[in-house]
Amino acid sequence: MNELIDLNPVVLIAVPLGLAFLVPLVELISKKIIKWIPVLGFLFNTVIALSLLPRVLKETIIVKIGGFSPPFCINLVVGPVGILFSVLISITGFLVAIYALKYIKEGAEQKYHILYMLLLTGATGVVLTGDIFNLFVFFEVLCISSYALVAYLGYKTGIESSIKYLIQGSIGSSFLLIGIGLLYGQFGTLNMADIASQIESVHSVSVFVPMILMITGLGIEAAIFPLNAWLPDAHSSAPSSISAILSGIAIEVGLYAVIRVLFTIFGVSNFLMFFLFLGVITLLIGEMCAFSQENIKRMLAYSSIGQIGLIVFAFSIASPFGVSGGLFQMINHTLSKALLFLASGFMIYKTGSMKISSFEGIGRKMPLTCLLFTIGTFSLIGLPPFVGFASKFMIIRAALAQGELLYTILIGIVLIGTIIEGAYFFRIIQRMYFAHSNDINQKEESPVAGLIPMFVFASLILFIGLYPDFVSKILNPAAAELMDKIDYIRSVLG
Amino acid sequence: MINFLQNHIFYIGAFGLILIGLFIMISKRNLIKVIIGLSILETGVNLFIVSLGYLHKGTAPIFSKSGLDVQKMVDPVPQALVLTAIVIGLAVLALALSLTIRLYNHFGTLNLQKIKEQKW
Repeated sequence: MNELIDLNPVVLIAVPLGLAFLVPLVELISKKIIKWIPVLGFLFNTVIALSLLPRVLKETIIVKIGGFSPPFCINLVVGPVGILFSVLISITGFLVAIYALKYIKEGAEQKYHILYMLLLTGATGVVLTGDIFNLFVFFEVLCISSYALVAYLGYKTGIESSIKYLIQGSIGSSFLLIGIGLLYGQFGTLNMADIASQIESVHSVSVFVPMILMITGLGIEAAIFPLNAWLPDAHSSAPSSISAILSGIAIEVGLYAVIRVLFTIFGVSNFLMFFLFLGVITLLIGEMCAFSQENIKRMLAYSSIGQIGLIVFAFSIASPFGVSGGLFQMINHTLSKALLFLASGFMIYKTGSMKISSFEGIGRKMPLTCLLFTIGTFSLIGLPPFVGFASKFMIIRAALAQGELLYTILIGIVLIGTIIEGAYFFRIIQRMYFAHSNDINQKEESPVAGLIPMFVFASLILFIGLYPDFVSKILNPAAAELMDKIDYIRSVLG
Repeated sequence: MINFLQNHIFYIGAFGLILIGLFIMISKRNLIKVIIGLSILETGVNLFIVSLGYLHKGTAPIFSKSGLDVQKMVDPVPQALVLTAIVIGLAVLALALSLTIRLYNHFGTLNLQKIKEQKW
C-alpha cells in the first residue's frame, strides 16, 4: 500500500498512452479482448488518481521530467485542480469504456479504441501539465483524436461535421501557437510559473495580444459563443459514447485550458467583464437554439453550449465562491451530460431514429434507461436532490454576493435560460412517459453493459447531490489554487 | 523604414504567410484550396517561431568543437518547438486529406457551399 501511495503521477498519462499503442499488437492475438483494454487502463487510472487525492490535498506534487529543475524542465503540476479533473476524466473514461463494450459493434473497432485512449491521454495531459508548449502538444493530441472519432461511423453527416470541426480546430491551434511564440519571444521561457512571475501588467500591448490569441485558440475547443459553430454538428454525428466524451470531457478540458491561461499565467482575476457578458450570451443562444431542435443529439449538443456559457459566467465572477461554483458546475455537466448521451444512445439504437417525435411512449418499453435519462435531465436543470441544484445554487449565491445591480440582472437572465432548459427537457420527458405509442412490444431494455455505467453515473449524481460537502473538500483548495497565482509560482519555482 | 524592414523581414514574411493562409481559408470554396490555405497558415506560424531564435550572424547551436562561444549560437528551443509543430501539422493535413476523399465519395463535389446537409 505504501508503494501505491508513492507512485509518480506521470503514470496517469503514460499508462493509457502505452496501452493505446499496445492495442494493435493485442489484436494480432485475439480480436475479442481489445475492447477490454480501455476498461482496464482507465480502471488503473481511476485507482491511481483517487489514491493520489489525499496526498495532493496536503501539498501540490511537482513532477520534474528529465531530472532538471524548473524553469528548465517540463514539469507536471498536480494540484487540487489537476487531480480533480484527472479523477473526473478517469471515472468518465472508465464508465464510457464499459458502455462501448456493447455499443461499438461495427466499423474498425481497433481504431476506435486506440483513438479513445489517445483522446483521454491528451485530456489528462492538458490538465496536469505546467508547461505551455506541453499544453499545446497534449491539446493537439486531444483535438486530432476527436476529429477522427467524430468521423468514425463513416456516414455522410459524420464526415461533413468532422471536416468542419477539423478546419475550425486547426485555425484555433495555429492561433494558440502564435500566442505561445509571442510569449516565448518576449519572456524567454515556456514554463507557466516562470511566465506568470514575469508578467507585470496585462494591459500592455505585448502581453494583451498573446492573451487574446491564446483565448481565441483555446476557446474554439471550449465552445465559447462566436467560436462554437462546429459543436452542434460534431456532437450529433459522433457515435453516442464519443458524444458523451466530447461533451463531458473535451470541451471542459478546453475551458480548463482557457481558465488556466487567464487566471494563472496572465493573472487576470479581476477584470473579466467581457467574459461575464460572453457567458450569458452563450447561455442564452445555446438554450434558445436547443429549444427548437427535433433531433435529440443536436438538442443535447446545444444544451452543452448553454452549460459552457453558464460555467464561463461562473468563472468570470472572479470570487472564490464563483470559481468553486464553476468547478462544481463542470462536475455536474460532465456527469449529467455523459449520462444523457449514453441513455439516448441506446434509445436511438432501439427506435432507429434520432427525432424526438419517435420517442413517444418509449418510457414503457425501456423503463430503466428512461428513468436514468430523467435523472440526468433533472440534474442538468438543477432540481433538488441532485448535484445540479448544489452547483447552480453556489453560482447564484456567488453572483448575488457581489452585491451590484449588474450581477443581479445577469443572474435573472441566467435563470431565464434555466427555465428554457427546463421547458425543452420536460417536453421530452412528457413524450417519453405520457404519450401513447402505437406498437405494444414487450420491454426491450438496454444491455447490462450499457446499464451499469448509467447506473454509476446516476448514483454519483445522487450521492454528490445529497452530500456536497464530500466534493467541497477538493473544490475549495482548487478554487484557491486558481485565484492565487503567487502560491502556484512559489510551489513550482521554490 | 528600410532599416525596420531589414531588421524584421522574417517576422513580416511570416505574418504575411499567416494572413495569406487565413484569407484562403476564409474565402475559397473548394475544399482542397481551404486545406492548402491551412498548410500555408501552419507554415507561416512555424516560420515565425523559428525566426524568434535567430541571431544576426549566429552559428548552429551544436558543440562541434570545444571552446565555442555560446553567446553566438542561435536559440535551439524554438527549433525544437517547430519540429513538433511541423509533425503535428503533417498529421492534421493527412487526416484532412483522407476525410476529403471520403467526403468526395459521399457528396460527389468538393464545393463547400453545396455540402450543407446539416442546417439548424
